Amino acid sequence: MMRRRQFLPISVLLAATASVVLLYMENRGIDAESHTRNNQLLLRTENTVVNLDRDVLRVTTSQLVQFDPLVATVNNLRRLGIELRNPERGLAGGSGEAVDQGITAFWEAVEKKLVLMERIKYQSALVQNGLHYLPLAVDDLVRTNHTLGDRLMSLLVQIFAFSRFHDSTRADTIEKELQAMEAIKPPGVGQGETLNNALVHIRANLNGIRELVHLQERYDETPTQNSFDKLYKAYADYHSAATKRAHHFSLLQVIVTIGLFFGLGLAINRMNRARAVTEHAWERLHDAVESLSEAFALFDHHGKLVLHNRRFLDFYPWLDRIVAGGLTLDDMHKENGKHLEVVTDEAARKADGMNVAAGNTTFAEKLEDGRWHLGSDNSTSDGGQVCVRVDVTRGKADEAELKKLSRAIEQSPVTVVMTDSQGNIEYVNPKFEQTTGYAAREVLGKNPRILKSGDKSPADYSNLWATIKSGKEWRGQFLNRRKDGSDFWEAASISPVWDSGGEITHFIAVKEDITAQKQAEEQLLMSAAVFDTTSEGIMITDRANRIRNVNPAFTKITGFAHEEVVGKEPTVLSSGHQTPDFYHRMWRQINASGHWSGEIWNRRKDGSAYPQRLSVSVVKGKTDEVEAHIGVFSDITLQKDNEERIRRQINYDPLTSLPNRSLLLEKLHDALVRAKRERWLAALLFVDLDHFKTINDTMGHETGDKLLRMASKRLRNSLRDTDTVARFGGDEFVIVLEDVGEPKGAADTAQKIIDIIVKPFQLPNREVHISASIGITFYPTDCADADTMLRHADMAMYQAKESGRNRYQFFTTAMNNHVRRRMEMEQDLRMALGRQELALEYQPIIDLKTGRCHSVETLLRWKHPQRGYVSPAKFVPVAEDTGLIAPIGLWVLQTAFRQLSEWRKMGIPEINLAINLSSSQQRLGLSASDVKQMLFEVGVPANAVKFEITEGLMMENSQEMRQWLDAFKGIGMELSVDDFGTGFSSLSYLKRFPMDELKIDRSFINDIPNDSEDASLVEAIIAIARKLRLNVVAEGVETTEQLAFLQNLGCDYIQGYLFSKPLPPERIPEVVRGDFKNLLPCQLPMKDVQPPFDTQPEPRTRLLAK
Amino acid sequence: MRRSCLKYVLCCIPCLVVGLACADEYRNEPIKPIPHETRLRPDKIKLGDRLFHDVRLSGDDSVSCASCHVLSGNGADGRVRAIGIGGATGPIRTPTVYNSRFNFVQFWDGRAANLEEQAGGPIHNPSEMGSNWDQVITKLRKDTDFVREFRSTYEDGISAGNISDAIATFERSLTTPDSPFDRFLRGDDQAITELQKHGYAVFKSLGCIACHQGANVGGNMYGRMGAMGDYFGDRGNPTDSDLGRFNVTGDDEDKYLFKVPGLRLASRGGPYFHDGGAENLGDAINIMARYQLGRSISDSDVAAIESFLESLTGNHPRLRAP
Repeated sequence: MMRRRQFLPISVLLAATASVVLLYMENRGIDAESHTRNNQLLLRTENTVVNLDRDVLRVTTSQLVQFDPLVATVNNLRRLGIELRNPERGLAGGSGEAVDQGITAFWEAVEKKLVLMERIKYQSALVQNGLHYLPLAVDDLVRTNHTLGDRLMSLLVQIFAFSRFHDSTRADTIEKELQAMEAIKPPGVGQGETLNNALVHIRANLNGIRELVHLQERYDETPTQNSFDKLYKAYADYHSAATKRAHHFSLLQVIVTIGLFFGLGLAINRMNRARAVTEHAWERLHDAVESLSEAFALFDHHGKLVLHNRRFLDFYPWLDRIVAGGLTLDDMHKENGKHLEVVTDEAARKADGMNVAAGNTTFAEKLEDGRWHLGSDNSTSDGGQVCVRVDVTRGKADEAELKKLSRAIEQSPVTVVMTDSQGNIEYVNPKFEQTTGYAAREVLGKNPRILKSGDKSPADYSNLWATIKSGKEWRGQFLNRRKDGSDFWEAASISPVWDSGGEITHFIAVKEDITAQKQAEEQLLMSAAVFDTTSEGIMITDRANRIRNVNPAFTKITGFAHEEVVGKEPTVLSSGHQTPDFYHRMWRQINASGHWSGEIWNRRKDGSAYPQRLSVSVVKGKTDEVEAHIGVFSDITLQKDNEERIRRQINYDPLTSLPNRSLLLEKLHDALVRAKRERWLAALLFVDLDHFKTINDTMGHETGDKLLRMASKRLRNSLRDTDTVARFGGDEFVIVLEDVGEPKGAADTAQKIIDIIVKPFQLPNREVHISASIGITFYPTDCADADTMLRHADMAMYQAKESGRNRYQFFTTAMNNHVRRRMEMEQDLRMALGRQELALEYQPIIDLKTGRCHSVETLLRWKHPQRGYVSPAKFVPVAEDTGLIAPIGLWVLQTAFRQLSEWRKMGIPEINLAINLSSSQQRLGLSASDVKQMLFEVGVPANAVKFEITEGLMMENSQEMRQWLDAFKGIGMELSVDDFGTGFSSLSYLKRFPMDELKIDRSFINDIPNDSEDASLVEAIIAIARKLRLNVVAEGVETTEQLAFLQNLGCDYIQGYLFSKPLPPERIPEVVRGDFKNLLPCQLPMKDVQPPFDTQPEPRTRLLAK
Repeated sequence: MRRSCLKYVLCCIPCLVVGLACADEYRNEPIKPIPHETRLRPDKIKLGDRLFHDVRLSGDDSVSCASCHVLSGNGADGRVRAIGIGGATGPIRTPTVYNSRFNFVQFWDGRAANLEEQAGGPIHNPSEMGSNWDQVITKLRKDTDFVREFRSTYEDGISAGNISDAIATFERSLTTPDSPFDRFLRGDDQAITELQKHGYAVFKSLGCIACHQGANVGGNMYGRMGAMGDYFGDRGNPTDSDLGRFNVTGDDEDKYLFKVPGLRLASRGGPYFHDGGAENLGDAINIMARYQLGRSISDSDVAAIESFLESLTGNHPRLRAP
């Protein structure tokens, strides 16, 4: 209230001051400078509009020939317009509404003018344009028709004048003359059109000028000047009004200033009165302080004593003499230090941390005479200090007593919590902190429910509260929660504390952590549950091995109920499958290591035996003596069954139920061991069903499987039980005969098998006939181990097949040697590529027409490190059988192609290459695109290479083979039939396959011309080839007679020792460059000619084909 | 009294200016030479040059002003329709940027009063640069180099106004003074050939000069396409942009009005007119004669005018020799 009363005059004074300032500012607003600026802007604008008007007039009267100056004027005007309308500029928006309206109206007029001005520019340009042209338009007529020309010229002059001076009478005159002339029809040729054209343009021009005049009028009518005058007047009015207002404001300013001074006087008076009131209040405060029972002293922010009471000096009598001279805070502390000791309660300090920081402290003072003061020094808001002291000498003695008690609680091994009557925690002991994880300061003032884990219902709690509030003690257990979230169990006793008036003031809870105890109980419960629910049987026996307890699973597995076995010995379960020795060993291990596990057969209550997996453990007591045995077991009957089934699956063929290969090997091994021991003869029969594959392919796998089952049944039935018959794979069976006595016994058995297999098989829908081929080996006469025995029998079986099937064959050493040699060759051949033992030679093929080398045939050579040169006839079949033909074939192609490329680079481009191709290469995946890629890599065109194939390859006549060969043709290669005449090829093959060439086999050439049969055959072949448009090469030409004969028949090419044997590549260039003409019979006598090269016939070699 | 006095003084000033301008000696012809001096701030020109060539002014960073205004060519793109971002086709032929400062308004339909207003137009057009100021400013602010350059040129750094100002300043520097014809105007009789002189005479006598006059030989007025003939009817396929100034004012009288284009760089290659309707200069002159002047002209006159137009092209460092 007081404050508001003071505030009012101050705000009046402030308002007055502010209004004086405002008035001053307001007067400044309308200064002469801005007025001058506004005035100038307006006048510049007006002037620019005048300029615009002038320019437009010049345009309409054709005086302004280019519009750039006009554009400059317009731009200038637009800039001024922006300034004029810009509120920041001071004119618009700040000079009253009338001025704003004036500006808007004026600028609208200007914009209108600008639009018209643009039209005038365009119209004027049109008129100008016409005026430029008119003289040209009338020119013709002026020259040809003087009368008309003169009239037109005079009209033209009128038009030019009109374009300059727009008076309407002249327009009328022109109009009249124009109409008159439009009626004239001039006599001259073409004059009519010329006249018309001139008149049309004159009329267009007249109309154009009229339009221009019209636009000019509209332009002139636009009231820019009028609206500018209005604007200017509005501004002048505004200015004079503003000047008048400024005068008024000055007057007002003087009045307000006088008022301000008056107000100030009043304010000073009021302040004097206020001081008197303050002094009175100070006296009253002094009295109040004096009447306090506590010692009181107030120091100002300099530390000087301002106010104190009598009691203060009673408490500190030694200060009495200093007070008079002006006591300071420092003096007081110094003097007090001599007479008393300040005891700061650390705990109180900590709990009161905030106060310490703010400069407020509470402490105790122990005086030299034994008195105790409780002191409190508090800072005041202005930086001073208030000191208050109370005599607490009596209370201090009680405190010592309490301290002892509290020490007991602090050290207590149980948790102690004290709450007020509302349940808010006032005290917790260190054990509480340790147990719960909460620090004391975190829980003080809070309700113990922060420990709640939710194990008790609200009803439980209300029951608890009812008990303790009625003054009784409550005992019980809590599941509480620690600060870290973990739960723990506590047994608690909660009792109330009363004050002297019998009111409950506090509750004390004493609690003990019983978590470990609880956990043990739970553990026990869980173990019992496991014992009852596990599917494994459990049996517990005591020290004397009498059954003490069994679980439900025990009953389920054995059939014995709990009461039937308790107290008995476990032998009731014994099946008798194990020997006493077994049990003896078992117990010895149990006693030694405390544990045993294994499989054991036991007996059920119904007498049936079953296998179980048992593990026995010993439980020892504290004194390390046996207290009990625990046996845990599971019934493994099912597992055992599964094992048996798996064993069968592993060892027996599922289709025929005969032993499979692995069991066979086992049995064979056993049989050999027995044969060795008993010194008898064992035989192995390798049986293969002939033509089984055909049946499988043509009649389907199901039929094939059925046939196999029937055949295996016949086999099994025709043998003794001691003999083994096994399915070795596919349609192969192996029979092991033990103790055959002599080879004939085995042969008899073999014949018996052949006889029963030959009998027809009745399959659904049809009857099938098959036969068997059998190879026979003996132990120990033929071989020393099972593997060799099988291999040899297999070999013999193949021999039987080769010899026509449906028969048996004993194994012989010759067979073995042959196989071994082949295997050795295979081994060596495998390494031949890597060891670079393979090489290529090339045999020239001569063109009989030119006598030059036309191409070379590539021939493969293998130089074996020990055996020397190996004939391709021997190693090529091996390569084909083993698949080695693939890498070797690739090597041949790459090497030959690279060679050809080199020759071509050396400058013998016309040479071509022939390479033999094997059908195995088709199976092994050589494709035309591979070949194309290889050719591309060395840069040799495909048409330089010819593949030679055998008749046999054509005979295979499969779709795949034809596509394969077509593909080579497709990339541009040529194909040739090698060794023609030796196979069984028919002419139709020649037609069906995309062949280019025939090579007549050397066997036909050898004896010509002496052998008349061969001679006529060769003649026929050449004739056929010609008909089929195939080239013919004769191979193996060695004599000039042969050459002459072939040349007579018109053979195209010759290959043979007569010209050249196969040569290493480096000798080829010389051959190619050479000329063979001198060898040809037409140039030379046919007899006594020596071949140019070594005529020693080398065995004919073939590359890559059978 | 005081007011009229002021008025008198102010009136004198333009008279003096006009007097001074007349003192510059050149022939009194409707075509005026391009002034040598430009009085532009070099730092703004430099900054404007960078912006003019900066693709970040377009929505997908693919197109800059220079994409359509090829400075080495004729300041336009040589296409019938401008091609903007994502290959979008614009509605109208790109006009040359050279000497655009002499145009009394910008764009074919005059919808921008000056080059500053014009600069924002293509940036916002979805079929040209397809962007907006916010996007452009955000992109440029990431370029510390640019930010520094803007700071040193403008107190308030990067803003739409300052970008426009810099580009407009750069464009004002794109003038082609010192053409042979300008030298002729300044008194050098030998600067142009006799054929070119003859061409100029024909240009005037036919009336072309009525619209194509001033420093830019055009560019200071609107003209109706087809003043003396139905250009659009004969051409067919009318489009919205054929309506010209009407698209801005909505006034029927403004239909088919276009800013008369300056002919300073006409000889540097077409196509010509707002619709690119003429492929070469000869065709353009013939079409102009037929539809604007209402007559046909001889081939020799066309050749003479073509030759004269060649003499109008002056120099600029960026302009490549034809």
